[in-house]
Amino acid sequence: MTTSNRHVPETAPSHGPGRRRQAWWREFAALWAFGLREYRIWQSYRVNQVLWMTNILVTTLLFFLLGRTIVGQAPSLLGAAYGTNYMSFVVIGVTINIFINTNLSDPYIRIQRSYFNGTMDLFLLSPMSVYTPLLGLMTKSILDDYPRLFFTFGFGMLLFGATFNFAPWPLAFLFTVLFLAAGFGLGLLSASLFYLLDIKKGTEPIQFVVQQLLATLLAGIYYPVTVLPKSLQWVACLIPHTYAYDALRRLLDPGARASVAVLPIQQVLPGLSPVLIDGGALLLLTVILLPLGAFAYGCGIERARRNGTLTRWQ
Amino acid sequence: MSETTEDAVFLEHVTKTYPGVERSLRGTKLEWKGPALWLRNLVGVARLTSNMAPSVQALSDLTLRIKPGKIFGLVGPNGSGKTTLMKIVAGLLQPTYGTGFVAGTDLKNTREIRRKVSYVSTTGWMGLEWPLTAEENIRFFATLCGMPTPLARIRTEEALHAVDLWGDRRKYPSQLSNGMRQRVILARALLFHTPLILLDEPTVGLDPVHVQVLLDLLRGRLRTHGQTIVLTDHQAAEMEAIADRIALLNAGELVMLGTPAELRASLREVTVIEVHTEEMDLPTMPSPALVLAAEHIERPGALAMRTWRVYAHTSSEALQTVLDWIVQPTGRVVFLAETAPNLQDVLALPRVPYGAATSGHGESVPAHREALL
Repeated sequence: MTTSNRHVPETAPSHGPGRRRQAWWREFAALWAFGLREYRIWQSYRVNQVLWMTNILVTTLLFFLLGRTIVGQAPSLLGAAYGTNYMSFVVIGVTINIFINTNLSDPYIRIQRSYFNGTMDLFLLSPMSVYTPLLGLMTKSILDDYPRLFFTFGFGMLLFGATFNFAPWPLAFLFTVLFLAAGFGLGLLSASLFYLLDIKKGTEPIQFVVQQLLATLLAGIYYPVTVLPKSLQWVACLIPHTYAYDALRRLLDPGARASVAVLPIQQVLPGLSPVLIDGGALLLLTVILLPLGAFAYGCGIERARRNGTLTRWQ
Repeated sequence: MSETTEDAVFLEHVTKTYPGVERSLRGTKLEWKGPALWLRNLVGVARLTSNMAPSVQALSDLTLRIKPGKIFGLVGPNGSGKTTLMKIVAGLLQPTYGTGFVAGTDLKNTREIRRKVSYVSTTGWMGLEWPLTAEENIRFFATLCGMPTPLARIRTEEALHAVDLWGDRRKYPSQLSNGMRQRVILARALLFHTPLILLDEPTVGLDPVHVQVLLDLLRGRLRTHGQTIVLTDHQAAEMEAIADRIALLNAGELVMLGTPAELRASLREVTVIEVHTEEMDLPTMPSPALVLAAEHIERPGALAMRTWRVYAHTSSEALQTVLDWIVQPTGRVVFLAETAPNLQDVLALPRVPYGAATSGHGESVPAHREALL
């Protein structure tokens, strides 16, 4: 066996000046490696990419056809706050739902797959942070799901008559970052149950309750929350999705009015701008959910290390 | 630096008990699913009910010291606690009780331990990335561990040459045999010159030629880099050929510890008599003063035959004792031969835990012998 005489350090030193900076750099390098790997895998499934675009087209078409059945009723259905174009309303709903679903549901799914195919064992043997593999594995979801934004908006605008006001895009971007962060906080909580509650197969409760139940029924993806009974509107105010839909529709839908209160929490705080309330609520949820999720995930890993369920194959 | 942190591995009174797993209800009407499963697990984690399933004691009050720069062998039958011990040292598992240091790092600091340990297990190839080639797999792991790209390129090439896989570097795991996949993960462990390499049954799946390549590689690597290598095997014979020191584990307890020569010496008062009989059970064993133990050995292909290894005190009467005990009353013996015992035979003998008859870290052979017999 030959050996290298090069004096290149194998890994960053664990002590000494610059340790923290080097540690961060090492984590970024690992994330980059994950990104390249996931991109390569994503590229190798070309048929999947065609199916992926077809799926977006069909989803958008479905709501276009639904929108045609309520021609003339859209203004009364959407109310004064969200303009009059149902296609614009629903394109924003579908896009946000894809984004937040990725951040909320995928951490658990990625951990689950990686655990059963054995690669998580390998990641846990490397000296990187336990959070880095989770973020790295999410790259696949980001590659798969985030670009759908362009297709949903593109199909909506080019084929089905959706119109948008892109002038306040910096604010829209800020809201997007906030709801993605809050969604990822929930995603971390969801992933933590893999280890904390030993839910290794099927669906775990957070994803089921928040995404499949509350968000789908109450947050207002396809209809405004005003169609719901008041009590359910209050329940909708517990999840970040509701504020994201409300704020982004007010910002991007032409004819939408920023000052008309829709959500119950906006109605009880009449002195404050509804968009400001949405921003505050999203910020609060992010500040609570993100650290809580990270803490729970760390606790889950340590519990598994104690119980001997951290790795499956090694 | 204290004495303990100078050791490659120092474990003190390490015990590992796995929590009991309730009997599966799969396939019955009572199978836990969906919300019922969530609730059951929540109740279990919150300890609102007691876990009635019996826990599993994998390691029991184990104290062990491994000196740096040596090859240390862990031998024991299936379920003896070898893998549990390796996982504790690798930082993948937390002991229930006990303390320890790995390459000077406290067992609790698992992240730092992972920086100092390369770990390869029998089924480690399950961790291969199937959409990546053998070479890409190794370089991917190098990047995950923070190795700079130029060095990763050099080390990957070296490691693949070392395990005789350079010619197959562009193959995907699905195009490699199990043995070749095993060599890919061995190559992965060779990437880093970590102070400690843990190899959990690394020869499983390898053909005899590559077992020899691996053993030569380990010896050579130790000379070059001064790394400590801990490897497990359930076959003592392979271990005798390579290890500087060997620990014998059984049922989570340390049975014996010493150099291969010391362990062999501890058996010098034991003789082994191999007896091939027709299908039959042995008559009642004579006094333990004469015969220590007898075990049935599986011999593939020996239909309607049984092979027994009889352990007796080395004496001129040993063979006669066995003749009186088995041959004369049954008359169904077809072959009988006296052989020297090997390390594998230690595990078949009646034993008491290591340390029960010794004090502290004493490893004197006569004391072991006493404890053993």
